Amino acid sequence: MASQAVPAAQPFGALSRAAPDIGLERRRRIGNLVATVLAGVATLIVLAALASILWTLLSLGIGGLSLHTLATVTGPAGSNGGLLNPIIGSLIQVGLATLIGTPIGMMAGIYLAEFGGASPLANAVRFVSDMLLSAPSILVGLFVYLLLVAPFHHFSGFAGVAALAILVIPIVVRTTEDMLRLVPVAMREAAAALGAPRWRVVVQVCLRAARKGLLTGVLLAIARIAGETAPLLFTSLGNLNWSLSLNESMASLPVTIYQYAGSPSDDWVQLAWTAALLITAGVLFINIVARIGLRGQDRS
Amino acid sequence: MTTMQPTPTPRLATVHAGAADAGARTMIEIENLDFFYGASQALKDISIRFPERQVTGMIGPSGCGKSTLLRVLNRMYDLYPGQRATGKVMLDGENIIGPQVDASRLRSRVGMVFQKPTPFPMSIEANIAFGVKLHERLSRADMADRVEDALRRVALWDEVKDRLRANATGLSGGQQQRLCIARTIATRPEVILLDEPTSALDPISTARIEELLDELKRDFTIAIVTHNLQQAARCADQVAFFFMGELVEVDSAGAIFTAPKQKRTQDYITGRFG
Amino acid sequence: MSASAGSEFSDGSAPKPGPGRTGRDWADPAFSGLAKACGIVVLVLIGGIIVVMLSGGRLAFTTFGPGFLTSSAWNPVRDVYGALTPIFGTIVTSVIGLVVAVPLAFGCAFYLTEMAPRWLAGPVGTAVELLAAVPSIIFGMWGFFVIVPIMARDIQPALIHSVGRVWFLHPFFSGAPFGTGLLTGGLILAVMVTPFIAAVMRDVFNSMPPVLKESAYGLGSTRWDVMRQVVLPWSRTAVIGGIMLGLGRALGETMAITFVIGNTNRISASLFSPGNTIASLIALEFPESAAGSLKLSALLALGFVLMVISFITLACSRLLLRAGKA
Repeated sequence: MASQAVPAAQPFGALSRAAPDIGLERRRRIGNLVATVLAGVATLIVLAALASILWTLLSLGIGGLSLHTLATVTGPAGSNGGLLNPIIGSLIQVGLATLIGTPIGMMAGIYLAEFGGASPLANAVRFVSDMLLSAPSILVGLFVYLLLVAPFHHFSGFAGVAALAILVIPIVVRTTEDMLRLVPVAMREAAAALGAPRWRVVVQVCLRAARKGLLTGVLLAIARIAGETAPLLFTSLGNLNWSLSLNESMASLPVTIYQYAGSPSDDWVQLAWTAALLITAGVLFINIVARIGLRGQDRS
Repeated sequence: MTTMQPTPTPRLATVHAGAADAGARTMIEIENLDFFYGASQALKDISIRFPERQVTGMIGPSGCGKSTLLRVLNRMYDLYPGQRATGKVMLDGENIIGPQVDASRLRSRVGMVFQKPTPFPMSIEANIAFGVKLHERLSRADMADRVEDALRRVALWDEVKDRLRANATGLSGGQQQRLCIARTIATRPEVILLDEPTSALDPISTARIEELLDELKRDFTIAIVTHNLQQAARCADQVAFFFMGELVEVDSAGAIFTAPKQKRTQDYITGRFG
Repeated sequence: MSASAGSEFSDGSAPKPGPGRTGRDWADPAFSGLAKACGIVVLVLIGGIIVVMLSGGRLAFTTFGPGFLTSSAWNPVRDVYGALTPIFGTIVTSVIGLVVAVPLAFGCAFYLTEMAPRWLAGPVGTAVELLAAVPSIIFGMWGFFVIVPIMARDIQPALIHSVGRVWFLHPFFSGAPFGTGLLTGGLILAVMVTPFIAAVMRDVFNSMPPVLKESAYGLGSTRWDVMRQVVLPWSRTAVIGGIMLGLGRALGETMAITFVIGNTNRISASLFSPGNTIASLIALEFPESAAGSLKLSALLALGFVLMVISFITLACSRLLLRAGKA
């Protein structure tokens, strides 16, 4: 779209054409050039930030990445500990939170797309869910602390699961509603015309038609909660000892990063970088997989 | 049940001779039907009968109410709040727009095929089985027979018998539409409603569907909405002309296209409007 | 198809079992009821968050009254707490973040929608989305170990010796260049929220009917003319909604800020001075607060304040985005 100069005034029949205003023309072209350059620079800055983050993680984190790190439990500073319990703790908490949050979010999304329509209740749910989607996650941590930690006087893996599940719900609600709305009305009617009751139409036809998009939503939700730190600080707290009990405080990678990164001990800082590399690689990998899946949505 | 010629003999009689068979049993009888989308009335005082095992073609300009009438016959309008019908639509002595009627069961007796093919996102086999499973419990072998029977009836069996487990969305448009017809007849309805079933298809696929209609009317009562007057002339035994929510004229296909009684009908079929 | 082929039910012998072959009348209402109940769970959650936070902060609110919001004290020894400093820090860092992020995000969206060749727009767009997916604690670490040293060594001294010399800007750009502080926090926030705002802007720009753009190009407009005079006016509401969304994120961001803010309860004009935000104060002080203490209640009250601020922001954002879509 190279800006084309207006050709010099030509004889134009009886109509006399105004001579092009050279000054105006130049100003517009300079404005375009400046805007173009600045937009390119802005994009480069954003890309540079991502590159810098990835480079920092790789260069500082890869050194600590070894089988020993992955297979050893955390220990006191200087004890050559690993990240086994944070890794397992993160997997357990993220897995359970996804298992709990996904069905609730999906049913709520089904309600919005299939049953609620534009009713006041549906509009309220939609609005609130979208707000919850971007609400500060630390508030969710405080909420669960007051509900599930304070009354029992101890932190627990279960509280961490609850906090993460609350974060999963609005993400799944949003993608479920959006994806169901992409399912053509004709497909719903065709299923209904065979005599299928509403719930079969939704479960066997609509959800099937939207399954790639739904899977993408769940993957994005997993990626989002896997890196969350703030909601876990007051719920599962982190645990330096090996524990699989959901009734006790439970380790997780993000909280371990938080605890180790600021420590004066070099080996803990190294472990923090390695944990950061692991979690970021995992989160970005899931994101890329999800995006590729989303692109395939139309072809299914 | 599995002995069938792969290519049915074409029967493209241009115009069916004679009036709709007066002796045929009436399958559906509509009396004084009114239909409303919210406050606006889409059908006004419709009375018409659909003879058993005949094809009734419904023609008229866009928005004349012909598709609406079709959607009354299987209560499709139930899906949408604010749409309601009053009057009598008798199927086997039962008023199907009455409140006590189970829509799901009604739809197992009155099947519908849509303008655009609507294969479900599952295998070809599962598409056919979907409707059947809703209403009957069949053994695996019986279900396989049923699937084969339905696919043979729409002349799709030979094209897909080697890939019954393949995703139905991989079929061509014409194949998809025949699959949808197979899916409908697999539930063994008494009536089949077709809403412009060929408007999204190429001429060859269209011709195949039209041939199919001739076969299907041996077993089913058929109501077809079409914008294509030639199609109505070729396929229908009786033709109903709708205009602005009213049923202007209904007669045998021959009579409607050669000697319409109403001026509005004549204007429409000679292309003066619509 | 021979006439006999369909005999099985040409004879009318088709089996039509009695009504309600799979009649499970409860299934449909049960399914829609369950779906509705799950929708209500979402409402209950947000209601629960509001009620629980309010009740948790009640002790602080009743002890300090409205003065809680206007007092800058934060003294665990004397058990006196006020919210002013963290509110100040939250707003200052968020504003810095937006001032930097909005032009960056706009540039990105402009580049991606109007300038980038197709083969480049895809990967670059994905990269921007990936930046949005990086966990916030990673931004915190990156900020602490990479950005803070750069700020301390290069940027802050440079600012002190340039804009800091201008007399009316001097108070804002003075003090010791530690590297941490409000400015650094704001910059980290900017990097974090830029991809969010850029993604919204890109979607909004892309949703514009191509005909409108093409007719503007057809009149001889440059890219920038089209963006400034056609696209931006057309998408203004939604763009502002996207910016508000970014603001909502910035206000509540915790981990990234906690690493670089300096954690000092002091209000100072200088952008280099360490400070606090609501979220960072909660994250840092919460573990040291005894259950049932006034301090814990003060932190929960702060959480309630943060909730009110960010919910209002997010509500505005949603309303604007929805209005922009319509």
